[in-house]
Amino acid sequence: MAESKQQMLHLATNDHAVIQVERQVAERSIVVKHMLEDIGDEAVGKEPIPLPNVNEAVLRKVLEWCDHHKNDPPSTGDDDNESRKKTTDIEEWDQKFMQVDQEMLFEIILAANYLDIKPLLDVGCKTVANMIKGKSPEEIRKTFNITNDFTPEEEEQIRRENEWAEDR
Amino acid sequence: MSGPVVTQRPTSVKAAKDRGVPQMPPVPNKEDITATWDYLEMGINRVMHHFTSGIDMQSYMGLYTAVHNFCTSQKAVSPHGGSPANNAAGPQRGAHLLGEELYRHLIEYLNGHLGQLLDTSRTHSDEALLQFYIKEWSRYTNSAKYIHHIFRYLNRHWVKREMDEGKKSIYDVYTLHLVQWRQNLFSPVSGKVMEAVLKLVEKHRNGETIEHSQIKAVVDSFVSLGLDDADPTKPTLDVYRYNFEKPFISATRSYYQAESQQFLAENSVIEYMKKAVSRLEEEEQRVTMYLHPDIKAQLTTACNETLISSHSTLLRDEFQTLLDNDREDDMKRMYGLLSRIVDGLEPLRNKFETHVRRVGLAAVAKVAADAEKLEPKVYVDALLETHTKFQGLVKRAFNDEPEFTRSLDNACREFVNRNEVCKSGSNKSPELLAKYTDVLLRKSGTSVEEAELEATLTQIMTVFKYIEDKDVFQKFYSRMLARRLVHSNSSSDDAETSMISKLKEACGFEYTNKLQRMFQDMQISKDLNSGFRAHCEEYEHKIDSQYSILGTGFWPLTAPSTTFAPPAEIQKDCDRFTMFYRNKHEGRKLTWLWQLCKGEVKATYSKSKTPYTFQVSAYQMAVLLLFNDKDTHTYEEIASATSLNRESLDPALTITLKAKVLIAEGGKVGPGTTFKLNYDFKNKKIRINLNVAQKTEQKQEEAETNNTIEEDRRILLQSVIVRIMKARKRMKHSQLVSETINHIKNRFVPKVADIKKGIETLLDKEYLERLNDDELGYLA
Repeated sequence: MAESKQQMLHLATNDHAVIQVERQVAERSIVVKHMLEDIGDEAVGKEPIPLPNVNEAVLRKVLEWCDHHKNDPPSTGDDDNESRKKTTDIEEWDQKFMQVDQEMLFEIILAANYLDIKPLLDVGCKTVANMIKGKSPEEIRKTFNITNDFTPEEEEQIRRENEWAEDR
Repeated sequence: MSGPVVTQRPTSVKAAKDRGVPQMPPVPNKEDITATWDYLEMGINRVMHHFTSGIDMQSYMGLYTAVHNFCTSQKAVSPHGGSPANNAAGPQRGAHLLGEELYRHLIEYLNGHLGQLLDTSRTHSDEALLQFYIKEWSRYTNSAKYIHHIFRYLNRHWVKREMDEGKKSIYDVYTLHLVQWRQNLFSPVSGKVMEAVLKLVEKHRNGETIEHSQIKAVVDSFVSLGLDDADPTKPTLDVYRYNFEKPFISATRSYYQAESQQFLAENSVIEYMKKAVSRLEEEEQRVTMYLHPDIKAQLTTACNETLISSHSTLLRDEFQTLLDNDREDDMKRMYGLLSRIVDGLEPLRNKFETHVRRVGLAAVAKVAADAEKLEPKVYVDALLETHTKFQGLVKRAFNDEPEFTRSLDNACREFVNRNEVCKSGSNKSPELLAKYTDVLLRKSGTSVEEAELEATLTQIMTVFKYIEDKDVFQKFYSRMLARRLVHSNSSSDDAETSMISKLKEACGFEYTNKLQRMFQDMQISKDLNSGFRAHCEEYEHKIDSQYSILGTGFWPLTAPSTTFAPPAEIQKDCDRFTMFYRNKHEGRKLTWLWQLCKGEVKATYSKSKTPYTFQVSAYQMAVLLLFNDKDTHTYEEIASATSLNRESLDPALTITLKAKVLIAEGGKVGPGTTFKLNYDFKNKKIRINLNVAQKTEQKQEEAETNNTIEEDRRILLQSVIVRIMKARKRMKHSQLVSETINHIKNRFVPKVADIKKGIETLLDKEYLERLNDDELGYLA
């Protein structure tokens, strides 16, 4: 890919920050990509692209990921995703990238969902899945700070219904 | 992908700058379906109605965000928390995805929009309607792409889930647009649109200029609407086929039916063909110009049927006229037209075959007025001319089609073997062909260019291919080849070899075996002669002699019918050669073919300054040498000295008398005549050829050749029958007959009666035996 003459875009966050970024990087977001295609080139660059659902801290984080992955081949059909879903393996750079506090992790996931960046969404969800893996319900509650709102009867019923899935 | 509970941040959108289009209000409360929808509807309206003025990024992202926020809103509501007032659907547990309401609202909106379009469409008709349809279609589909993107979040989650669960009639947003268009606008107006299209096409066919892109746009629209209900991702052509192709084809049919009938009523068939060809081309162009390639096959069939099939009889009836007048271009056109329909050409081929035969027979009849004096060249040229003419026609007008070539071959075979000249006997064709070949290959005054000779030989082979009695040709050819070789008056060895290899290619090794052996014998004889000359160095009184050793079985020659006592000088040399040959090849018998020998004698006695040289036959030489001893001899003296019988002696003497080398009292050749040497012999030429065969001799030879053919055929038949039976051991009688015909037909066409006779003979000779059930067996 020719990187020499990259067009620069401006992204506006909901906390009024404007971030400059290469078009190629921004187009990792399918929403941004489609919008640029639809609106046409002459409007692009004149004003910042408003992203009303993202704040500066999160967007910078997301763009860091996009920049690192800007040369990834665009994800193809759903079949390809199918195999990727089955494994929780995460490549090293992404693992490091995801070493953030829980709040930020969830913000990233929401932003990836909103901006339609499928691979980032996958990485985020896999990270969460890895946090759950091998933990008891009580441990999970602790990890994610969830109050147990089941009655003991309800809990027993759920346990019985899911007995088949117990890993014993 | 049910994420953990995270609170959404409040949204804040900067107001877009005024661009002369309705301003978008801020993104509404995400949980309020009415507010959300009102907001979206405003945006969609802008896309639909002010497409060209575009949409700013603020609004675009605002709309996308509104859809996103609405679809994610209720998940944010904790099941046990306070439910928002507008949350009509109520809290849902698990992975329920929101969006159905948006989807339904969108459908309602589209229905409303399309309803308006339908109303407006009723005010238009014909070309105006067409324009309206195309304009609205293009705007609608362009907008649909935008809206599809704006609703991407709905597509990705709610629509995908619904489709994964197998719900019918849920489509992605773009497809939904198409489905709604088909239901609400296409169904009611497509008939009228099609009428307009057909009117336009008719105008085009009538020669008017039309806006192609309009039809192309309608085609594209109809094709796009072909959505497989079972699987919306797979496009089908059903809608297009039913709504476009069907009416289009039927309009085409009626147009060309009417046109062709009217045109034919007013114009000639030749003109009609030109018209039809250009019409067919036009329609083909029409497909590439503004139709869908799917229609091509059907359109071609429709045109072929209306323009060609329905008038095929009329066309074919014209063919004979075209043939008679050599209208090559028109025939080519007719071929082109009729080749497009099933079984269109067969009647043409039949007519063509009959015509070629008639022309060929006429050509032969023209030259056959005096069959006796018919020049071989004239005859062969007549055959060739017809063939060449029609072969050219096949190549140029009938696409060099193998079927037409076959018709040509059939016709040629007929007129080559059965024509005016062959009335006296079917052997005439091969005989004349062989004679013509002889004329070409014989040394003659007029020298022919080598390339030209080769070309003529190739033409000979063209005729040869059609000859049924190939054995007759072989017979004559081998006789004439023998004569050329023995008299060494063949024009060129290369040409001879070329001709033999051509024959071999056509008929196989067996056919030319003898011819090749004859050729070889001459080569061997050349070497032998140089050996003999070296051997004779030591002898005195040499004569310059040349001997040819001809293998008995291979040459069509027979021993002389007369006794002969060669002159002493000759005899001596012959004896030397015999000795020489016997030394080389023991036990071989040499038979002298005196009738074919020739030589030269010098007339030193004459009064002219330079002595004349006579080219003479061996017999003439023997006679003339007698006059070395004395000047006068009686017939009886000559006869006893040469031991020649009358049949051989008389012609030899007649020529010498005619040339006035000898003078006879009374001028008659026969017993009692006295011959005297003519000392006053005078001639313009120094070299005089006395060795000329007389007409009667040639006639006799021809008759002889023809006589042997019957006998040879009988033997060939029998040998073929034996060969078949040897391989098969036993066979039904009828099978054997047909097998024999198969084997032999490349030599001549046998009569069944002759085969039966052959079988009878072989039964008598006990080569074969009769078995039960009409079967024959082979006896070893």
